[in-house]
Amino acid sequence: MTLVVILLTLTGLVFFFATTIGILRFPDFYSRMHAAGKGDTLSSLIILLALVLYNFHDINLANLLVAIKILLIVVFIFMASPTATHAIIDAGYEASIKPWMKKPEEES
Amino acid sequence: MHSIVADYNYWIYILLMMIGLYAMLAKNNLIKKVIGMSIFQTAIIIFYVSIGAKEHATIPIIAHGHGAVEAAIDVAHYANPLVHVLMLTAIVVSVGTLGVALAICLAIHRKYNSLEEDEIQEQLQ
Amino acid sequence: MIWQLDLSVLTLIVICAFATIMVKDLLSAAIIFGAYSFLMCLLWTEMGAVDVAFTEASVGAGVSTVLFFAAVYQTSRKVGARKSGRLLSKAFALIAALLTGLVLVIAEADFPGFANPFTPASLHLSPYYITQTLHDTNVPNMVTSVLADYRGFDTMFETAVIFTAGLAVIAILRRFKKEDRHDLPEPYVISEGYPDTIIRFVARQLVPFIQLFALYVVAHGHHSPGGGFQGGVILGASFILLAISFDFKIVLGIMSERWNVLLGNIGVLIYAGIGFLCLLLGANFLDYSMLSKVLPATDKIMARSHGMLGIEIGVAIAVMAIVISIYLNIVSHGKYDKGL
Repeated sequence: MTLVVILLTLTGLVFFFATTIGILRFPDFYSRMHAAGKGDTLSSLIILLALVLYNFHDINLANLLVAIKILLIVVFIFMASPTATHAIIDAGYEASIKPWMKKPEEES
Repeated sequence: MHSIVADYNYWIYILLMMIGLYAMLAKNNLIKKVIGMSIFQTAIIIFYVSIGAKEHATIPIIAHGHGAVEAAIDVAHYANPLVHVLMLTAIVVSVGTLGVALAICLAIHRKYNSLEEDEIQEQLQ
Repeated sequence: MIWQLDLSVLTLIVICAFATIMVKDLLSAAIIFGAYSFLMCLLWTEMGAVDVAFTEASVGAGVSTVLFFAAVYQTSRKVGARKSGRLLSKAFALIAALLTGLVLVIAEADFPGFANPFTPASLHLSPYYITQTLHDTNVPNMVTSVLADYRGFDTMFETAVIFTAGLAVIAILRRFKKEDRHDLPEPYVISEGYPDTIIRFVARQLVPFIQLFALYVVAHGHHSPGGGFQGGVILGASFILLAISFDFKIVLGIMSERWNVLLGNIGVLIYAGIGFLCLLLGANFLDYSMLSKVLPATDKIMARSHGMLGIEIGVAIAVMAIVISIYLNIVSHGKYDKGL
């Protein structure tokens, strides 16, 4: 059980790391938001699932209640975070931010 | 080393207080001044909560029910709840003062059409 | 308490504070200030002040950021260009800030050691609260019992301060008549915007659950972090979410201005009314133990617990109404016609 928790947390941290690199290194607004929206949601979900498992070191009613509460947070993040990303990208699109393209001479 | 680390919270609260005070005095934009005021407030809150913190202490909620054993309560085992109460109300009041400060900023902007301190003073003279 | 975590979070806080002050764009400053508040919330959780952290997460990071956004929306997001001749005043400000810092550093030598359980602040009054709260009031969350019972008088006037702040914002900004509004500048428009189906759908689905969670926070404040202030702010934030994702009018349809101010009054009145009820029953003001005469099947200890729940509900109603009122006034510049 502990091993699974450690593995899940590490996976979440790897995704968080990739998200951070993506936000820092991607060339324009849209791809940066893409990294932020996807990586952030997935890694939060994985780390919260690890917390649920960690909570089950012994199974009783109290632990079950806490686990259900954490799962509710998971559902909330799963709905709210992509919507927030969508809203930000939509605002950027309406403000007519130009997406990044490869330079013409590179294409030929 | 340990004494520096041990009082780290105090050094940071002094630093934040200086940042907030500088922003309130030197910044030209009124909303920047309001942000400086908020930083000043949080510096004071850090100071109070740091006073209430105790080493190896848990949160000030007594474990009970669900089969927890009713043991004698050790005072050093729980963080100081009094400062938490004072600071909790201080944070909620700070949002009230923030609302009033921003409303005054908007009223000034309504009259002088600017939020810059020097432009407002030019119009006043 | 983990001092490595403490150190890194504090360092990030200082970086955020510098960035907030230095950045040229007011919208960016508001966003960085929100990040600053979230780091603050982490720091307080780490120091064991969960209730303070919860309040900061809902108030500092949530509502304050939205209020800054509303103010920037109504004015302008650019900080004016630097002018010559301000160097002298900046130097004076720097000297003043450094002097204050110097005084505090000198005073710092007299502070009690950090995280020492035997400082004067932790020896005189708070041991009583820690040891007696379960015995006196049957409320395991000491912060709630101190807030609502032992120091109930203090909290009542804090609620009154919030209420007064809401009234002050209305008095400063609100323009009731149409002919008074001709001098108002047009708001800085980010984009006109068309109705976005995804955002509206998700907001519509989430708002009932947010409000349910807020009620849970109010009702469960005796046993877990939370209480009237946090629950009220979350309730208000759910209405602000509706106002942002849908329309300004939809919030006014649910919660008109008259109802808003009335609810603020009712909240403070519930608090004071419970106090007066105790007075009528022959106890001191806000001494809930006498409520056992009115409430069925409660002894004096449970009556204090129920009395706390009553005033928490009053606080939540007042704070919700005032948060909505402040937001609506700032974002519409007191016109109540259109907002963010």
